[in-house]
Amino acid sequence: MSAGCPPQSPAVAKTEVAVDGPCPMLAATFAYWDNILGPRVRHIWAPKEQGPDASLLLCDGEVTFLANHTLNGEILRSAESGAVDVKFFVLAEKGVLIVSLIFDGELKGDKNTCALSIILPQAELGFYLPLHNVCVERLKHIIRKARICMQKGYNIISVLTSEIIPIMELLSSMKTHSVPEEVDIKDTVLNDDDIGDSCHEDFLKKAISSHLQTCGCSMVVGSNPEKVNKMVLTLCLFLTPTERKCSRLCQAQSSSCRYDSGLFVQGLLKDATGSFVLPYRQVLYAPYPTTHIDVDINTVKQMPPCHEHTYHQRRYQQAELSALWRAASEDLLGPDNLTLAHDSFTPDLNIFQDVMHKDTLVRSFIDEVFLLKPGLQLRTVYLSHFLLLLHRKALTLLRYIEDETQKGKKPFRSLRNLKTDLDLTVEGDLNIVMALAEKLRAGLHSFVFGKSFYTSVQERDLLTNF
Amino acid sequence: MIGSPDVVAFTKEDDFGEIYPDPCVLPDEFSVPLFSHAANPWTKTTYAKFSKDFILISEFSEQVGPQPLLTIPDDSKVCGTFDLNYFSLRIMSVDYQASFVGHPPGSSYPKLNFVEDSKVVLGDSKEGAFAYVHHLTLYDLEARGFVRPFCMAYISADERKIMQQFQRLSFEFSKASECLKSGNRKAFANELLKKLKDLEYTRSVLHKETELQKINNGCYSTQAIEKANELANVEKSMYEHRDLLRQITSYPSRKRKDPECVVFEPEKPTDTRDVDLALTSISSDLEVRAAEEAERKPTYTPQLIKAKSAKCFDKRLKTLEELCESTFYHHTMDQLKFIEKSFRGDLCYIYTSQIDRALVRQQKMTSFLFEEEEDIWQDMGPMKQFDTACPPMASQPPSVSDVSAEPMSLDSYSSCVDTIQIKMEPDFTEGPPESSPSEFTQETSEEAADTETKGSFSSDHSIEPISPGNLHMQYQNTVVGTSAEDCTTIADSAFLDPCVADSSDALYESHSVERGTDGVVNTFPLLENDMAMNAAVVYQTGSIVQVDTACCMGQEGFISDEPSAKPPQDGCGDTVVKQEPLPLLQRDLALQGDYVLGEPALESPAAAALSLPELQPHTLSEEIARISVEDASDTTSYMSTSTSSDRAPSPFCHGNPVTLKQKKRAGQSALRFIRQYPFAQQAIFCLLSGRTLVVLGVDEGTVRKLVNALSIFVPNLGRYGETVQPWLSTPFQLTDLQRWKLIGLQRMASPMGSSILNSLSRYSRYLGILDTDNKTMRCPPYKGTVLGHMADHRTQIKRGSTYFLHVQSTLTQLAAKAFLFTFCHHLHLPLEAEDEECVVTRRTSFLHHLGFTDEESKMVLFLGELIKQHYIQGPSKGTSQSVLRFNYTTSYLYKI
Repeated sequence: MSAGCPPQSPAVAKTEVAVDGPCPMLAATFAYWDNILGPRVRHIWAPKEQGPDASLLLCDGEVTFLANHTLNGEILRSAESGAVDVKFFVLAEKGVLIVSLIFDGELKGDKNTCALSIILPQAELGFYLPLHNVCVERLKHIIRKARICMQKGYNIISVLTSEIIPIMELLSSMKTHSVPEEVDIKDTVLNDDDIGDSCHEDFLKKAISSHLQTCGCSMVVGSNPEKVNKMVLTLCLFLTPTERKCSRLCQAQSSSCRYDSGLFVQGLLKDATGSFVLPYRQVLYAPYPTTHIDVDINTVKQMPPCHEHTYHQRRYQQAELSALWRAASEDLLGPDNLTLAHDSFTPDLNIFQDVMHKDTLVRSFIDEVFLLKPGLQLRTVYLSHFLLLLHRKALTLLRYIEDETQKGKKPFRSLRNLKTDLDLTVEGDLNIVMALAEKLRAGLHSFVFGKSFYTSVQERDLLTNF
Repeated sequence: MIGSPDVVAFTKEDDFGEIYPDPCVLPDEFSVPLFSHAANPWTKTTYAKFSKDFILISEFSEQVGPQPLLTIPDDSKVCGTFDLNYFSLRIMSVDYQASFVGHPPGSSYPKLNFVEDSKVVLGDSKEGAFAYVHHLTLYDLEARGFVRPFCMAYISADERKIMQQFQRLSFEFSKASECLKSGNRKAFANELLKKLKDLEYTRSVLHKETELQKINNGCYSTQAIEKANELANVEKSMYEHRDLLRQITSYPSRKRKDPECVVFEPEKPTDTRDVDLALTSISSDLEVRAAEEAERKPTYTPQLIKAKSAKCFDKRLKTLEELCESTFYHHTMDQLKFIEKSFRGDLCYIYTSQIDRALVRQQKMTSFLFEEEEDIWQDMGPMKQFDTACPPMASQPPSVSDVSAEPMSLDSYSSCVDTIQIKMEPDFTEGPPESSPSEFTQETSEEAADTETKGSFSSDHSIEPISPGNLHMQYQNTVVGTSAEDCTTIADSAFLDPCVADSSDALYESHSVERGTDGVVNTFPLLENDMAMNAAVVYQTGSIVQVDTACCMGQEGFISDEPSAKPPQDGCGDTVVKQEPLPLLQRDLALQGDYVLGEPALESPAAAALSLPELQPHTLSEEIARISVEDASDTTSYMSTSTSSDRAPSPFCHGNPVTLKQKKRAGQSALRFIRQYPFAQQAIFCLLSGRTLVVLGVDEGTVRKLVNALSIFVPNLGRYGETVQPWLSTPFQLTDLQRWKLIGLQRMASPMGSSILNSLSRYSRYLGILDTDNKTMRCPPYKGTVLGHMADHRTQIKRGSTYFLHVQSTLTQLAAKAFLFTFCHHLHLPLEAEDEECVVTRRTSFLHHLGFTDEESKMVLFLGELIKQHYIQGPSKGTSQSVLRFNYTTSYLYKI
């Protein structure tokens, strides 16, 4: 691919990123539509260490050609201000796939259409697609910040770099440590002869229940990588194959074992002192609430349900963007810098709480699955029954609410009836089914529980400020 | 006094109080919305100007630029006010394929570049439209550079849908694209051939004219030179076209760049005689059709080509249909229609059904119970025959290999069955069973019924075969009652002499045994007893149970003199595979016969000697009789009881598999049923515990509706709903109870009607009878919570499809428990020095531990029995149960 590429003139600024291990990303680019010259590439990020196949490398000329392609046709763009549109290309002729986020920005005093893109080999399509939402959501937020920087006339490349590099690292780590699409039950706690053999019974039940209540999002923390990974794989049994490909085992040998926002399950190792620093911002920026499972001390903590999580997330994002807007200079910019946040906002650092609601679904499943003989396919089949039951219950719940509210046209006021009719009177069961339904219909929690929650929050704020 | 309303009036914005934005406050366009509770999760976007997803085919015309060509569905209402021209411009404004076509540097001939398709997902957030766009290039001899860029776009208001289904969309559109391109290559090659023939003809004409000019005017005359130049141009053109032809024929051997491209056609060797056919690189099916079409076409007459062709804008560009062989074109359209259909609707339901299907595939052991058979052929769409990447799977019976890892031993199985069984192997045929054959007259049917009543029940093991010609009947009792004394093994594989039967439509019956309250096993003439007990029709009894419409649970009442209900372990507790058996097809062939009742292996003298009933005469279980008859007898019986009015064997489309859609529609009737009939739980209990339910009534419509409603609760419904007989107007026989688990029965005032009622009363102790005319239900009582959740008449569920989903969830749960019970190995294996009674007790307590009442345990036991049978016999055996089980329990009469 790189043969015979003419050098770009004028040369495009480039940042070479050193990434541990093979990085599937070929390049990332920032391009904009110049009102005189047309599409122009402003910056390229490329990994320093490439994969084993050097022929896959793209020269700057090709990267520029592709980046320009992402802006072609955008002269017709008529999006609302602030909107970020996503384009996705699979160009078999070039053997690449490109993800582009198109947005408006102010450069040199003019309104321009800009594109932040990442380029991968086409062969990585299957690898990339499950991670698409993770990458896009993270890039969208950095674009929000970049737009403010553009408005203020600050250097946006450093802002973009602060997210491009972590995404490169994420893709690299997923290449080596992602959970396989199919998990063998033999590698999990569910293969034990008896319940409690390798994992305490109550702890296991609580972990799986909370994991399901938080939409299948969990971080497993511990000192022993085998123990951590066994729990990671166990939790992954309760995910779909696509979600599994969006989960990661802990990296025993790597020093850069860090939390990545947006993954479903991830294993994390404690440091030599036995401690683990919880990345508050990243955890809050995850699309779903998270369960924190410590396999060393057998504790399970969970974040509040989706609607509360979304509220906290948005508040934090607003505070961060406000801080950036009010920043007097570029020096004060930083991803975790909230010192300039609005005075009234105090982040609630106590986001992980004990699992309050017990359920019957998981408890009975765990009790029963260990009655079947291990080492065969029986437990796998029984697990599939359990998952099918959960999915069908979630779909039934969705349809119930849909019928009651005429597809959201009316507020939902019959939660009690729903619980009785669908046999979800146990709070933990309802949480599990609601969490699954939330994944199917984003915003369901806010629709069902949002109003009362926001009312209570507003009342609390009012009383606090009184 | 000034109040706040007075003050508010002064706070209004006016010319004096212009509000300036606070520069420290983040403007909205840079912010994120904080409150999302008002957002409607069902609304994708408020901007979409079209009502539902559609497919758009657009072209970048060299004359008018991007233009929409057609939409699927071809309905202007679908697109609404959505601007197709604008969107075509947007999606076609970039040449994503970036291919080079024309004269490459250093080449004297035009070169065709076989470019790979490009796939792009893009959106227009303002228009609320998002699209998967599949770009492809077709060849046209008349077009600039011989190429015509096209794209096929799937347009939806749901951005998430496009990305989540990207791989499927890409796969399906690639198939459509490959089909279209194949047809186009063929059309292009045909066009080249015609052009070559024209050129050949033109050359020959020019050649003659040149020779003529030379002769008339000499070699160097102006006319001769002009003609010579013209000839040279034609010859050059011929070279070019031959080269193009060579290129288009070399298409198959090119190297594909797209690793995920769909292979559409197996290639054929080149035939030098007929280039047209040689270019036909199509699959066999299409090839034949295309060849036939080619044969039908008249022979082409070459035409003279004028020296100067028409100007670019004068010529008419070919339509998409003209660019492609019609067979291929229509296949492409079919494929696009299939895509539109399969991606239609809410993503939530598409995604859930995909998950659902993937999970059900893992449950081959239990999916037959309540899941409709997957129609993979339908899933694969019209291009299935070309799709080498997806070999058909559903046509083969599901294997159970993934459940079993160890061979099942005969010992482990033989001690599991504890009742008399008269094995019936119905005639398993493909498709739905035929009902009411014309060769059987009503007289035959009545005669059969009459003969039935005259059956002899005195002999210990007398069974009268229905069809002596091919009946072979076995007793198989490979265990065991409830106590050590009366639990032994019987396995009698003796075939009855056909001569024993006195007529071809003779009745078969079995005797049974009954243990009295003192534990002594007594034989009794089962059906005579029945007749005696049920001679007075139950409906006329005075001791009916009045059921409160508000709740029909917990009613007490006794109306018949049948033995009291027994705990489930007595009846059918031994219905379990103790070890994980191998599937039938994978087991040792030598062992297969051992597991399949009625197979020759059971006839071995050793086996017979070990389990002759004479040696163990007191081993018959007192509560359950299982009657089996051979397949032919079953067929005879079945046929003889049907009339022409019963031609539809099920509430579902005759001859078509039962679909999820039909079941969802039945959900509406089911919801109405549970609201109208307070004894709905009892009716469902009958079906789930294996007791045949008869819906009796005068009005065919009412009965059929009720049968339709109840059919969603029938376990092992069958691919075609074979276990349901929606409308029967003749008396039924015992064998019918084996085949049908839900029967709609006509009540009529005629001799035939009395005959029907006679048969009904005769077998009423084995049935649940729902009388739609009198609104009564006669069946055993049900106590428990499982069905309470599933069939609560106070439910607030509004729609039938939602109710069906709720039922489906509950039945999934029930099937899971039955699986657990069946394969819980320690549950069924006797421990050291433990007798069978202990095992039975363990099973009972296990089911109680799972939270089931005695009645609910019966349901689990029945489902477990079906799982075991399905596992052992394999799915190819159809839906009929080889064992008919009777459970003597008290029946009650419920009234509204």
